[in-house]
Amino acid sequence: MSVEDSGTAEQEAASSPATDEAGEPKLRVENITKQFGRIVALDDVTLDIQEAEIFALVGDNGAGKSTLMNVLSGVHSATKGTIYKDGREVHFSNPSDARDNGIETVYQDLALMDDLDIATNIFMGQFPKRGLGPFSFIDWETTYEQSRAIMMDQLGRDVDIKTEVEFLSGGQRQLVAVGRALAFDPDVIILDEPTSALSVDATRLVQDTLDRLAEEGITIVIVSHNIESVLAHADRIGVLYQGRLVDIKQPEETDLEELNELMTTGTLDAGLLDDD
Amino acid sequence: MSTEQGFLGRTFGDRDDVILTLLDNMIWPILAIVILGVLVFVPQTLRNTNAIRLVLWAAVPIGLLVLAESLCLLSGHFDLSIGSIAGFSAMFTGMLLGTCPSCWGVTTNPWAGFGIILVTGSLIGLVNGIMIAKMGLNPFLQTLAFLIIFEGAKTAMQTQPVTGLPRLYVDVGGTPEFAIGVLLFAFLVFGLIMRFTTFGQAVYALGSSEKSAREVGIDTERLIIVVYTISGLLAAIAGLMLTGFVGVVPPLIGEGLVFQAFAGAVIGGISLFGGRGKITGALGGVVLIQLVQSALNNSPVVGATQIQMVNGFVLLAAILLYSTQAKLRARILASGAV
Repeated sequence: MSVEDSGTAEQEAASSPATDEAGEPKLRVENITKQFGRIVALDDVTLDIQEAEIFALVGDNGAGKSTLMNVLSGVHSATKGTIYKDGREVHFSNPSDARDNGIETVYQDLALMDDLDIATNIFMGQFPKRGLGPFSFIDWETTYEQSRAIMMDQLGRDVDIKTEVEFLSGGQRQLVAVGRALAFDPDVIILDEPTSALSVDATRLVQDTLDRLAEEGITIVIVSHNIESVLAHADRIGVLYQGRLVDIKQPEETDLEELNELMTTGTLDAGLLDDD
Repeated sequence: MSTEQGFLGRTFGDRDDVILTLLDNMIWPILAIVILGVLVFVPQTLRNTNAIRLVLWAAVPIGLLVLAESLCLLSGHFDLSIGSIAGFSAMFTGMLLGTCPSCWGVTTNPWAGFGIILVTGSLIGLVNGIMIAKMGLNPFLQTLAFLIIFEGAKTAMQTQPVTGLPRLYVDVGGTPEFAIGVLLFAFLVFGLIMRFTTFGQAVYALGSSEKSAREVGIDTERLIIVVYTISGLLAAIAGLMLTGFVGVVPPLIGEGLVFQAFAGAVIGGISLFGGRGKITGALGGVVLIQLVQSALNNSPVVGATQIQMVNGFVLLAAILLYSTQAKLRARILASGAV
C-alpha cells in the first residue's frame, strides 16, 4: 500500500498495523514536520513503533531518515507535530531530554574515543562514583564490573574491558557503542547506519546483537541504506521519500526491488517493476 | 597475555604486548640510562644529597610548566605561551611588590602578591581558552601571539632585575624543601584528578576525539577554557617559584622554558596528539630534563653559551622518540587488527 495517495486516515492505519494487537505504541510520532528555512525535510509524518520491535527507516539520500532520527533523539526539535513515548506526550529540545525519556542514539561515527579503553568509553560522562568526604571520585572497580556485565550479559561478549578501542575492528566498535547506549538503561535505541562499512561477519555480529536486544524487550530503530540486511532482520520497514512516509512494509510482504522503487519514486505506480 | 583472549580482547602476541607496554612507559628506562650516564660522565651533578636537592629544586618551575603543557597536550591542544605567562605574571607582580627605584611599589603585602600573580596567570589562560574555544582560533597561532605579546609586555615593563620583594613572597620558591613539596603535591593532585575525576577523564576524551567527546555530552568549549585557565594558573605558580629560586625577578624570566616543557612532557609519554599519557610519566620527564640541564651546567665540556643548543637537541630527540613510538604503535596495531 502506498501512503502517499491514501490520505491521513490510511497513513495512520499503515503506520501502526500492529497497534491494535500490541496496545500502546512504545513511540509515536504524530504529524511531525521539520523545516530548515524553506526546505521541508519532514512532511507530516505519522508513525507508531511498538515495544521490542526492530523498526527500520529506509530512504534515498535526502529522504528525511536522518532528520527523523535527529528529531527522535533530540538533536532537532520538530517544527510541527507531537512525539509520544509510552502514550505520554514528550518534548525533546536536546539529546539529554531524549536520554531522560529512555531513548539512546548510536550515531554513525559511533562517538568513540580510540585512545581510551572499552569501560571508559561505555561510562564516559556517567561514571559510577564513590564518595570521600565532600568529594566524589570515579569508582573504577564498579565501572569495570558494570562494563563487563553489559558486554557479557546484554551483548553476550566475553570482553577484556581494559582493551583500548583503537584495537577493535568495526563490528566490535559498533558493539561498544551499543554497550554505551545500554549503560543508560534505555528502552529505545536508535542506530544510524549500524552496518555501513562493516564486513559480512561484523554485520552479522551486529544484527544478531540487535535481534537479541529486541528479544529482551528493547525497541530498536535502525536508519539504514542496507536494504538486504533490513529485509532479513527488521520487523517492519518504513520508507521515506522526500520527507514523507510513503509506506510501511513487513519484510515478508515485500522485496528488494519494491523497496528500491518506493525509495526512488515514492510510489509503486511508476511502473519500474513492470516487465515491459 | 594470550593471543586467544575474549572476542573483544586484543589479538596481539606476548612480544607485541611487551613492546606496547614499554612504549607507553619508555620514560623510566630512558631516565635510568640518563642517570647512569650522569653518574659516569658528570658525577658531581649527583655527588651528595645537597646536589640532588639542588637538581630537584631547580626542577620545580620547569616541572610546573611541564604539568601545564601536559594538561594542554592531553586535551589535544597545546600552549606555547606558558613560559611568557610565567615571566609576565612574575614581572607584573614583582613590579607591584618591589622596592627597586623603577618598581611601582603599590603594596608590600606578600599575600596580595600571591593573589595577584595567580589571578594574572589564570586570567591570561582564561583569555587563551576563550579565544580558542569560543572564537575558534588555532591554538598554535593564539598561544604564539600571547607568547610574543607577554614577552614584549614584560620587557616593556622592566629591563632590570626587580628587587626588594617581600621576604615571604620570595621564600615560597626560595625554600628548597617547600618548593619541591609544592611540585610533588601538584603532580599528586593532578595525577589523582586525571585518573579519578570526571573532569580528568573528560580531558582524555577531548584529546582523543573532540567530536566524540561532544557527542557523548561533554561541554567541550567549557572544558577547553578550563584547561587553558589551569595551564595559566600553573604557569603563574612556576613564575612564583622561579622568582624564589633566583631571589629577584630577572628580566629574562620564563624565556625559552616552553621548549623544555614540551620536551619534558613528550619524553614523559604525553601524546602530541592528545588523549594518551600519564601524569607520572610527565614527572619522570621533568626529572630527566632537569637532570640533563644540571649535568650540562656542571659539564666541563659544554660551555654556558652552548647549553641552549643542546636543549634544542634534547627537544629534537624527544620528538624523534615520540615519532618512533607512534610508528611502532601503528605498526603493531595494524598487525593486530581484526
